[in-house]
Amino acid sequence: MKLVVAVVKPFKLDDVKESLKTLGIHGMTVSEVQGFGRQRGHTEVYRGAEYEVEFVPKVRLEIVVDDAQVEEVTNAVVDSAGTGKIGDGKVWILPVDEVVRVRTGERGSDAL
Amino acid sequence: MYIPYPHWLNTGDNTWQIVSATLVGLMSLPGIAVLYGGLVQRKWAVNTMMMAFTGFGLVLIVWVLWAFNMSFGTPAHFGGSNAHSFFNNAIGHFKIATSPQAEQGQEILPEGTLIPFHYNQATFMYFQVVFAAITPLLFLGSVLGRMKFKAWLLFVPLWITCVYSVNAFLLWGGGFFAQKGAVDYSGGYVIHLAAGVTGFVAAWVIGPRLERDRKHGVPNNLLLVAVGAGILWLGWNGFNGGDPFYAGVDATSAVLNTNLCTAAAMMTWVFMDMFLAKEKKATFLGAINGMIVGLVAITPGAGWVNGYGAMLEGLIASAIVWTAWYYLVKVKPFSKVDDALGVVYTHGIAGLCGGLLVGFFGDPGMIEYIGKGSDAPGFAVQGLFYTGSWHQVWEQFLAAAWVIVFTAIASFILLQIVKLLVGLRESDEKLEQGDLGIHGEEVYPEETFAERVGSGSFEPANA
Repeated sequence: MKLVVAVVKPFKLDDVKESLKTLGIHGMTVSEVQGFGRQRGHTEVYRGAEYEVEFVPKVRLEIVVDDAQVEEVTNAVVDSAGTGKIGDGKVWILPVDEVVRVRTGERGSDAL
Repeated sequence: MYIPYPHWLNTGDNTWQIVSATLVGLMSLPGIAVLYGGLVQRKWAVNTMMMAFTGFGLVLIVWVLWAFNMSFGTPAHFGGSNAHSFFNNAIGHFKIATSPQAEQGQEILPEGTLIPFHYNQATFMYFQVVFAAITPLLFLGSVLGRMKFKAWLLFVPLWITCVYSVNAFLLWGGGFFAQKGAVDYSGGYVIHLAAGVTGFVAAWVIGPRLERDRKHGVPNNLLLVAVGAGILWLGWNGFNGGDPFYAGVDATSAVLNTNLCTAAAMMTWVFMDMFLAKEKKATFLGAINGMIVGLVAITPGAGWVNGYGAMLEGLIASAIVWTAWYYLVKVKPFSKVDDALGVVYTHGIAGLCGGLLVGFFGDPGMIEYIGKGSDAPGFAVQGLFYTGSWHQVWEQFLAAAWVIVFTAIASFILLQIVKLLVGLRESDEKLEQGDLGIHGEEVYPEETFAERVGSGSFEPANA
């Protein structure tokens, strides 16, 4: 099993979620984060004073998937989250030692 | 047999006066409290509101105990035999004002009142105290984010006693500058110029906010800023509308002029931001700054200028303060002082502009008090543009010079006294923590992460 972490633009979340659902992925965890890569931030002005905001709001998705599905899940995220412009985000994949369903105690693939 | 009112009481005047006073009180609480509370960074929101509420409360108490009579009572004589000397007309007696007579007797100012008022002293005291109380809340804007809370609690009563009451007596209580003909309709000098000067001096003496705080000092809630700003604007209908002390034609003229000046000033700032500021964007906070400048600038002359004068004063004052805000701030000593909310510009310079401009725009046709017989047509200001005389401008200039110099020196001395007694700055450790360090409260506590210790006195029956 693998943990697929994706940081994408907030307004692409709906597209990513829908494309994952069509693959049969039924669960994910999403958080609102701030980040930057090559995308530059912006300037805000309050009372004439300039504030540089280097960070850009992003959304972080975390999905645990079976090894067999990692490739198609990753491709689905990349295809649905991309706009072709700087700041589209990144996906990275980590190994997972164990997964447990809290309600039933099921482990491994049964817990996905 | 009972009757509801003494013969001298006019219920219309009494009603409007206490309603105006309430409007002005609302400008402080919650007006300034949420305006400033929303403007500051989140870590300082509670401290800012606490200083607003406690400042207001302290002034109320000090007012009836002695400061009211010092500002509006019988003159105390310090300066020899000349009845018109400065030191015989600088301050009233230190006297308590809590008795039934003090509250329910007719308000008659010992000196310098054109007409005895048609309501009781409690009405007048309350009206005046809400003006006194908002003044420290204005200079709070300069010192927030680092002033020691205990120092605030000590400084406010001292300042009201030693600075505000003197300026109030000199300009309103029939004192020296009033006798010479200087005018200040609702406190452009007594309140706003004084607050701007005190804020600047205090910000200088106390020292700046932490560098980290200045770097991350973004507002935490612009919607609440809008609420506070709206209350300020419409509350000012009471601020200026109550100052003829009669619910007559000049009161409502003053209300209209106030709104005109404010609108002109706000739009001037908005346009200057759009066309001249670096980002060329109209900003909400810029609009609010312009609004405040207009409100302040009309204050010294609301019932004495006509509609043109009101709008032109707004345009001129806003243009001047906008320029000061963006350019004077780069020049010493302004560049060296952390006046957190720029009170020296929006209240100090705006009040000075308004107070001088009334010498130019004061229209003799705007009658505040109708004159009969030899007093006809009545009391009005003889502005330069209508009479060709520089007299009023000169008197306004002298009064301004006094307010600036006296307020600066007296505030400086009081700050040194407070510094000796309790210190002026919170410790760096407390400054890093902000609200939590000083009050043990956060402005937006998170229920998920906060757990109550102990169950208090409540134990559910079926636990």
